[in-house]
Amino acid sequence: VKHVSEYRAGGLAAGLAERIRELVEPGRSYKLMEVCGGHTHAIYRHGLEDLLPEEVELVHGPGCPVCVIPMGRQDDAIAIAEQPGVIFTTFADMLRVPATSGSLLDAKARGADVRMVYSPLDALRIARENPARETVFFAIGFETTTPSTALTLLRARDDGVRNFGVFCNHVVVAPALLAILQSPDLQLDGFIGPGHVSTVIGTEPYEFIAREHAKPIVVSGFEPLDVLQSIYMLLLQLAERRCEVENQYVRVVRREGNPLALAAIEETMELRETFEWRGLGFIDRSAMRLRPEFAAFDAEARFALPGARVADPKACQCGEVLRGSIRPWECKVFGTACTPEQPIGTCMVSSEGACAAYYNYGRLDRRRGRAAATHS
Amino acid sequence: VRAEPLSCITCGDVAVVVRVLALRGTNALVELDGAREEVALELVSGVRVGDRLLCHAGVALARVGSSEADGA
Repeated sequence: VKHVSEYRAGGLAAGLAERIRELVEPGRSYKLMEVCGGHTHAIYRHGLEDLLPEEVELVHGPGCPVCVIPMGRQDDAIAIAEQPGVIFTTFADMLRVPATSGSLLDAKARGADVRMVYSPLDALRIARENPARETVFFAIGFETTTPSTALTLLRARDDGVRNFGVFCNHVVVAPALLAILQSPDLQLDGFIGPGHVSTVIGTEPYEFIAREHAKPIVVSGFEPLDVLQSIYMLLLQLAERRCEVENQYVRVVRREGNPLALAAIEETMELRETFEWRGLGFIDRSAMRLRPEFAAFDAEARFALPGARVADPKACQCGEVLRGSIRPWECKVFGTACTPEQPIGTCMVSSEGACAAYYNYGRLDRRRGRAAATHS
Repeated sequence: VRAEPLSCITCGDVAVVVRVLALRGTNALVELDGAREEVALELVSGVRVGDRLLCHAGVALARVGSSEADGA
């Protein structure tokens, strides 16, 4: 298969859906978590839930990096952005995340120099172009994004750049999955594993899910047929009473991941003892910080930060959405007080947040009665 | 490499496959749907003109369609 259209062929999708239906055991239901926000986005964009039998329920996982950053870290970001002389660079989605006193966009309106970038390398270029000022990059993301920050740090060190800093919030996917497996309010039957994270880390970090928790996981691509095939592979494992790590996304993901990317991360960063996730609380060894050798580039070391824990707004139920314990439309403020234009919680900010995906694609009809009641 | 509208740059969803047009030191000039830009090559070894690369946030992460990946 070479072209996008072939990954979206309707006939093949219907055939896969039929094979999934044939695997459903009478009287059994299946709860599968799609870990990655990219999968959530694909599922709603392409209406995949409508192809699945009623017995198969997809639960959104914590894999939207914008959504899981707690409000206290957003406050810290704004505190850095508002330092005199700082150029604060960030991916677009973080601009609109509400913090205690508004978003980064609000800080920009108050006079902070906040700029959107597509890559930390763009932030490093801005630093070179403004040698008299300090440029800071707001680094967030799972292991797909961490290598780009690591590589940027290596280039900054090798080129002797002295006015560049990183506010590091990179998170690690496996500890979050462990936290979900240990959570008492959610019983899952299997995981649709993150595809591009696995390009970097490989499939080995998921082995504990199969070995110690007896759940199947299939690393999946992002096209509709990828996701459907992964669901088929999960149900086949369950039908055959197998629990394995399987790789559906073989055209990109290798078992060992990308050793060069892992080495770049290893050289520049180390695991934090613990890190707070929105909705999941503190999770041990679940995020990265810069190594002491890179302290000169570490915004946390160079700026005095509030560093406070800040509770989410009372009305916001992002935590429960991120844990998979409620569906987006079951949140009290979904689509009313909280919309993509005026978000209260992170899940409505990022287009890969479960709430925004529901909202933007109108995925409210699957359990029509309850959804309509919530949305009206 | 730019995100399509409504998707989020920080997530792997917008890691996209591009084709290498030319090599420029540690960067490659790549093309996607007519748009051209440079991506960093340090994390993928042996890149050649014509290769297809999975890129995210300005950095190439993997070569697509080599070894076992060809069969997909």
